[in-house]
Amino acid sequence: MSIDTQDSSRNTGQATRDLAIEVESLTVSYGPVPALLDVSLGIPAGELAGVIGPNGSGKSTLIKALLGFVRPDFGTVRLFGEAAEKSKGRVAYVPQRGSVDWDFPVTVREVALMGRYGKAPWWKGLSPEDHRIADEALEMVRMSRYCDRQIGQLSGGQQQRVFMARAMAQGADVLLLDEPFAGVDAATERAILEVLEDTKASGRTLVVVHHDLATAGEYFDTLILLKQRLFAYGPPEDVLHPELLSEVYEGKLRVFADLDPVASPEDSRPSRGQEDG
Amino acid sequence: MGGNVYESLVQFHQQNPHLLKALLAGTLVSTVCGVIGCFIVLRRSSFLADAVAHSMLAGVVCGYLFMKRVFHTEAHAPAMLIGAVLAGFLTVAMVTTVSRFSRVKEDALIGIMYTGVFAFGGLLLSLFSKDVHIDLYHFVVGQLLGVSNADLWMMAFVAVVVLSFVILAFRSLQLITFDRVMAASLGLNVLALDYMLTTCTSLVVVSGVHVVGVILVVGLLITPAATAYLLCDRLTRMLPMAAFLGWTSFVAGYLVSEQINVAPGSAVVVASVAQFLLVFLLAPRYGLAADWLRRRRAVPQQLVEDVLGCVLRSPTTEVPVRDIVNYVEGREERIRKAIRWLQRQELATVRNDHVELTEAGVTEGRRLLRAHRLWETYLQHLGTPVDELHEQAHRLEHVHDEEAVDYLDDKLGHPLQDPHGSEIPEDFVHLVPGQPVKAALLREGHRAEVVQLDPGARGSSLQVAMVIETGPREAEGTIWTFRLPDDSVVRLDHTTADAVQVRLLD
Repeated sequence: MSIDTQDSSRNTGQATRDLAIEVESLTVSYGPVPALLDVSLGIPAGELAGVIGPNGSGKSTLIKALLGFVRPDFGTVRLFGEAAEKSKGRVAYVPQRGSVDWDFPVTVREVALMGRYGKAPWWKGLSPEDHRIADEALEMVRMSRYCDRQIGQLSGGQQQRVFMARAMAQGADVLLLDEPFAGVDAATERAILEVLEDTKASGRTLVVVHHDLATAGEYFDTLILLKQRLFAYGPPEDVLHPELLSEVYEGKLRVFADLDPVASPEDSRPSRGQEDG
Repeated sequence: MGGNVYESLVQFHQQNPHLLKALLAGTLVSTVCGVIGCFIVLRRSSFLADAVAHSMLAGVVCGYLFMKRVFHTEAHAPAMLIGAVLAGFLTVAMVTTVSRFSRVKEDALIGIMYTGVFAFGGLLLSLFSKDVHIDLYHFVVGQLLGVSNADLWMMAFVAVVVLSFVILAFRSLQLITFDRVMAASLGLNVLALDYMLTTCTSLVVVSGVHVVGVILVVGLLITPAATAYLLCDRLTRMLPMAAFLGWTSFVAGYLVSEQINVAPGSAVVVASVAQFLLVFLLAPRYGLAADWLRRRRAVPQQLVEDVLGCVLRSPTTEVPVRDIVNYVEGREERIRKAIRWLQRQELATVRNDHVELTEAGVTEGRRLLRAHRLWETYLQHLGTPVDELHEQAHRLEHVHDEEAVDYLDDKLGHPLQDPHGSEIPEDFVHLVPGQPVKAALLREGHRAEVVQLDPGARGSSLQVAMVIETGPREAEGTIWTFRLPDDSVVRLDHTTADAVQVRLLD
């Protein structure tokens, strides 16, 4: 991993830290069944990490823990060496597309400016500096051209860019994304992936909840395979083992063949339309 | 001059003492209602606002009673205001608390709680009817013409408090309305802000009840805000716009009610709804008329595809626009528009009123042709009468999604000809040199290298890395023939041919 690049020094100011996110023995529960059990992770700065696992496997709890929204039963979450609850603002949450009201009367520039809302006291106006930073963030994601558009009048990829710009304007070094690829068409999926890679190239760390195992290996540097416990964390080729996946998904999975069609020639692809015609 | 205006105003006021007060009260109330209404509309909490409005009856009665019993003052306005706000607060708190512990959904709980609180107020009112002199009728329909000076002061106070809060805390309010998770992640106290907004709603509602009464106050809150929503693309403009629209509908409704002598509250709300409908029809971007115009101006995909198909089917490569207009169904200017659209998309070029498809245009056209002919074959397969084939396929060819067409092709056994005997274009999306495809997609003359044999094809004499040449189909297109390097010929049925993965050469 390239750790001491130009950007990680900006991340901390003082001592250069290797790890953007450190999770140690994290256990979170909402009842007798833990949502997360004894999860330990160290995600280096500048990494694009995917979180995979079946429904209810604790993916969103992990995101909430990284945001400092849940109180762990045990364990710690540190971001650049600081407790998660104290590093508010350094972590940006990029909302799921479905949860955004795209008809909301707000323009692209105004969304980017929201990234600066945490910086000024609530009764005071934003400074010209704040406006400059927001404009720069939009420049970075190549959205300056659209800054007066209402957010509903953008393509899917552009909408993702706007929220990335907001995270950048916030000065966040860690971006948490909840299923950015859910319910988008193939072209938008590629556009969003491009945005993620651009953001990674700027030295930021991205943690992305993802549901599509077929593309997980291709999209991310590392994968976090979660089901209450951490089953695997590492490069996709180490995580996407059929045995490991069938253990986590309990054999409910039919896409193993798609992961590597040459290695497993068993005909497991759905035989659509093969009744004689 | 100025003195004249003042004198005439004074004179006017003396002749119509209630008019100026009513105008002032309505102006104060309708503007703040519009502003707070924006947040209610965007947070989709109209029903909750209605609940808060009704619950205030209990609060007003309690405030009245308390001051009467303890201090022996009659109709103490501030106490009634505080009571109303507390009642609104209580209703919202009960709804949110119970919904957290109950499977009953929030809208039902709102219905339960507010009718409960309202009815409790009614109970108190009849129990203490000797002490409390509140006219339930006025409470329900408003008493714009009986606004007292104390009421006016109360309205002014509410306007100042609410507007300053909204202006000062604007960013926080915008953020909790737009993205609560981000608001929380920045450390904003989302819950406290929610309650502050509820307090504002209660305050505004209390002053609004004087103007239009408890039933119509929701209209005062929501209608101008929703109207502004149709006109504005940013919250910073929507708020003043809603205030302005609230004011215009008040003035219009009130003046009309004076003229024809009807209940002012009803007139105001009717004016406000009329204003909404007008904007709904005519708003430049989100209005019905604009939408209709946009749709009229847009070139329908279907027409574009018809033009494309027409040019592709014609025997010459350059087709006169005249011929297209005659052949394709539709009005001439729209067909010309479709041709211009094709030009902009670089699917066609136009020279001397002749249309020629570009390479991309030919590909796109062939894709459609393939879809059309496969649909025809499919329809025939289902037993559709021959004379209806073309017409139905013409409608269905606009369903030309790649996967759907591939499904048809596979289901029909990769037919070579449509029912009219025309050739069905081959699959040129998957069947490209170098890409692995099923051998069933190969057409006569194609040379390909075998890359993989799935279990279904293991028994044949084919082997991986073998170069094969496709021969003519046999048995009405159901048997594929391939010439092997040793000049022998293998015959495969559809299922087996599907199990052979090949890579097209040259």
